[in-house]
This record gives sequence, structure tokens and C-alpha cells, in this order.
Amino acid sequence: MTNAAPMTATQKILARACQRSHVAPGEVIYPEPEWVIVHDGFVETAYKELHSLGYGSIAHPERVMFVTDHEVSYGSQRAVERGRNIRQIAKAWKVGQVYDAGRGGHGHIFPMEQGLVRPGMFLFAYDMHCTNFGAVGALAMAAGTEVTAVLATGSLWTRVPETVRIDLQGQLPRGSHARDVGFLLAHGFAQGRWGVEHDYRVIEFGGPGIDTLDLASRVALCNSITEMGVANVLFATPPPGVDTHGAPDFISDANAPYESRFDFDLGSVSPQVALPGGPDRAERLDKVLGQPIDHATLGACGSGMYQDFADAARLFQGQRVADGVRFFVVPGTAQTARRMADDGLTQIFLDAGAIMLPPGCGPCAGGSMAPLGPAEVSIATAATNHAGRFGAHDGQIYLGSPLTVAASAIAGCLADPRPLTPA
Amino acid sequence: MKASMTNPLTQRGRCHVFGDGIPLDEGVMAFKYAIGRITDPEQLIPHLFEDIDPTFAARVQPGDFVIAGRDFGCGKPHIQGFIAMAALHMGVLCTSMPYKAMRGAISKGLPVLTGCEGAAEFARNGDDIEVNFATGQAINHTQGTHKTFPAMPSVLQDIIAHGGAQGQLAAWLDAHAEQRAGAGAPSVMIDGTTVHLVRKAVVA
Repeated sequence: MTNAAPMTATQKILARACQRSHVAPGEVIYPEPEWVIVHDGFVETAYKELHSLGYGSIAHPERVMFVTDHEVSYGSQRAVERGRNIRQIAKAWKVGQVYDAGRGGHGHIFPMEQGLVRPGMFLFAYDMHCTNFGAVGALAMAAGTEVTAVLATGSLWTRVPETVRIDLQGQLPRGSHARDVGFLLAHGFAQGRWGVEHDYRVIEFGGPGIDTLDLASRVALCNSITEMGVANVLFATPPPGVDTHGAPDFISDANAPYESRFDFDLGSVSPQVALPGGPDRAERLDKVLGQPIDHATLGACGSGMYQDFADAARLFQGQRVADGVRFFVVPGTAQTARRMADDGLTQIFLDAGAIMLPPGCGPCAGGSMAPLGPAEVSIATAATNHAGRFGAHDGQIYLGSPLTVAASAIAGCLADPRPLTPA
Repeated sequence: MKASMTNPLTQRGRCHVFGDGIPLDEGVMAFKYAIGRITDPEQLIPHLFEDIDPTFAARVQPGDFVIAGRDFGCGKPHIQGFIAMAALHMGVLCTSMPYKAMRGAISKGLPVLTGCEGAAEFARNGDDIEVNFATGQAINHTQGTHKTFPAMPSVLQDIIAHGGAQGQLAAWLDAHAEQRAGAGAPSVMIDGTTVHLVRKAVVA
């Protein structure tokens, strides 16, 4: 349709999800998802709520995917009971895809790896970090507790969001990472640096700089800016290696109606941390160098892809984890864990003194696994670092890139990865 | 779908005018009620806006309006304040509202009009106004003026007409009897409570 009004990628995906040729930002619609993803922390609650209303079945069980990433190894009797309940509920509701403990891995990663989530798809998910899927050009809206309505009725009212387009220029300097970009952007948006609104906006990344970012880097960037209140994060085009065969038109038109647009220079990015309290509390790493740590974690939904571990492992050549530091490595998925074992990455981490955890969220799911103790300090690639996220309420969690986490685990304190980063 | 109750799309009441940036925590309602997971409106109503207007609870009447500026309900999207306001059948006119707060209000059955530029000039504290949320038309009976604000999207009108998200889910089940629970399946134990996987329905 050559005369059709131009649309952003978000408009195109949402229009298709409600069988229309066009939707406009601000419209409230009922889009139908291709998948509804619910993790192990919420299945029972959803069941209880719908059961109390009298529901015996859900609208489109074949589209529903249960994933197990929060309590993977059942660290308590309650977790054992929860696992059993989830299996029973899945059976009663005839849920289409069930990834039990030890299967699949992180629900924000393995569906991309396995090609279940593909470019141009629309999904609903319970958990807000489903924005990861924007790395391959899929739009997953976080329904939160309202995912019960999606289960019951097959959809949920959704306001079509405006889009902020960020054109990435240049490329990252050695030792800098997409997570550092994410912290800078989250901080800049929170401070109003670019004079643009970000509440419930889709942040769309384009420009020549995106071609320098692999899938893991894109996931890291999508993940790092999620918690500032955006509606979603999307990359304008998928990276090489992502199958777009048969995908619908999901690319923003050249004259798409972006609400705002600005350039961001990747070449200006130095290593950052997010200070304890939130992913938007970016600070230059060199301002906090030397802060002693007790705990370090590599993995979780934003940095749990194979390339994240490969990049971090390169810093461990001949290096060991510092005494007094518990260094946890959490492969995002079962597939990544197998690949790491096959090609020697796991051996590198084990030789260095790391502790391998099962695929999933690791400590970031409330510290049910490998928690942080009172007044302890961690550096992690976790999705967020609010008080209590890793267990102890007064534990201090710094967020950093996989490179910064690796360098810090080796040094025993917050450390610059650049001296250890191979050219 | 059957309308179960509650908030009408046209209402008349007195105005309580607030400025920009009223937060949900320590603004609309103290955070302690959110962290205490209190959801009983009778417990919450006496504490509405008490941090910024200690006399509010004594003045407010069912059907009254909150008139607010930009970013009404900012901060963490806790819903205790909205539960109390919805139980009082209040309405909100504001310049803007963070999306998650707006979702929370609609979910609890509280009608809101956003994008109401000039609402604070249109209605002053104590004015008697009438608002049709479906059309955006507002009449100020005290001042003898009227103004048209952006209407509430029709999808959201439907949710408000059902008294919020729970009412809408109950109505969906009424219209989709095949999803209603039958009898004779095993049960699960959730937090010490036995929940039968399938049982005779109890619908509000």
C-alpha cells in the first residue's frame, strides 16, 4: 500500500496483532499475542486469581509458555511444592509449552535462541525484562500481574506507544560494552538530558552503530534501559544470524512518525557502573575503582548469552578470582551451558575459581540462590540493583558490564577491564 | 457483557485541586499502606491525600473529583490510593499521568481523563462540576462555564463500566461459559491453602 500512512515498527507489529492495517500512537487496542510467557514466580498466583473468579480454563492455552528461571534448583521445600503445582496447573490448563526446571533456561533468552520468538512477533509476558526480545525485532509487552487477563481472555488493553528513535553512531572503544551504553542512556533519560519524554515510549535503536553490536550486546542494551519506565525497546533491524525468513514487515518506514529522535556516539562511551539503588544511577567506573567486593555475578537475563561469557572469559587468561570473592557464573540457557562446557569456557571459569550455577536468573531473582549477605558488596550483570534484590536488604549491588564484572572478580574490588581486555 | 456495577461514566461532584507531580507514595497515599498490602477501601479512605492535605478525608464526598496537573500519580505504581478513590466513586482530571499509574487507576475502576490542559483554571477547589468521561465534556455549575477535554478511549470506558479489571474478567466468563470451572479434578496446595484445580464456579 504505497499511500498508507507511514508507521513505526511498533505500530506495524501492533496493527498486525489486532488484524488492522494501521494503528496510531495513543489508540487503545486489544492486540493478540503469538506467545504469552509466564515464569515460575507467578503461575500459582495467576491460577489462584482466575480460579477464584470461577475460571476452569484459559482462552488460548496453545499460545502460553511456562518457563522456569527464578527458582531453578528448588532451594526450599516451598519451591519443590511450587514446581509440582506448576506442572499440575500446566496440565489442567493444557498449556502449550512448558519449560520445567533444567529445561530451556531463562525465559527472556532461550525463546530467542531456539527461534520460538522471531522478528516482527508480538507477545505478552508477565516479567518486564521481556524487552530483551526487541534485540531480534520482536515486541513483547510486559503485562505484570495483568497477565491473568491475557490468560483468561487472550488479550489485554494496550495503548499504542510513541517511539523515540536513537541513531547509534561509531563503535564502542575496547573495554566498553553495550551495558555501559545502557547505564548512560538510563541515567540521561532520568535526568532529562535529551529533552525527550521516555515514560511508556518505545526506544528504537537504529543508525550505523547497530551493525557493530552482536545479539548479546543488543540484549544487554534492551535490558539495561528497561527499568526506567519505557514501554519497550526495539532494534530497527535484527543482527546477522537471526532468521527473518517469513517474517512480517516489522521495519519502521523511512518517514515513520517518531515522537523524537537523536544521535548517540558509541565512541564516547567509557566503562560505567550503576550505583546501588537502580540501573539509572550511572557513574563512571573510574570514580568508584577500588571499592572492595564480596560477591560477583556474571549472567542473568541481560547478560546471559554465550558471547557474554566468551567475552568475559578472555579476561581470565592466567588470572584467578580474588580470595574472599564469591564469583558466580550463570549461563542464561541450557543450550549456552552445554556449549560452554563443550568448548572449554566452563573450564576457564572453574580453573579461575568461579562457581557455576544452573541456567536461569541466578541471584537476581531475590537472592533465592547465591545470595548477598548483610552489608556485603556485589558487582553484577543483573537486570536491576534495588535494595534487597540479591537477598540482604542492606547489601550493596553495583551493576557493570560482563567485562567489568570479570575484571572486578579478579581484582577483588571494582576494577577497570581495559588493562585486561585483549586488543 | 453484563455491567456488574459501579462507576458511572457521567458524574457530578466537588473539586479538590492539586498541582503538578503529586506522587502516589506520600502523596495520594502513604507508602506504609502499600507495603502492608492493605486493599480494604474502608481502611484506606481515611488516609487519602493525608500527607499533603490532612483535612481531605473529612471533606471528601462520594462522586468528588481530583483535579491535578502534570505527572499525577508519579513514582512507584502502588494502587492503594486508587482503591480508595474508586470506592468513593471519584473521578480524576489531570494534565498527565505516568502510564503505569493510569493503568492502575483504570484497573481499579477509577475513571480518569488525561490530557486535560487548563483543568486547574477550569475548576477551583470546591467547585461543583459535572463530567462526561465518554465525551470529555465538563460543566462547571459553580462558575457557569463548560469545557471539552479529550474523551476517555472507548476500550477504557468499557472497563470502567464493569467496575475495573476484575469486573471485566467476571463479565468475560459470563460470556464464555465454556471457560467456567466444572467439578472433579485434583487440587494444588498454594501457601498452605488448598486450591482445587477445577471446582464449581463462584462468580461475583
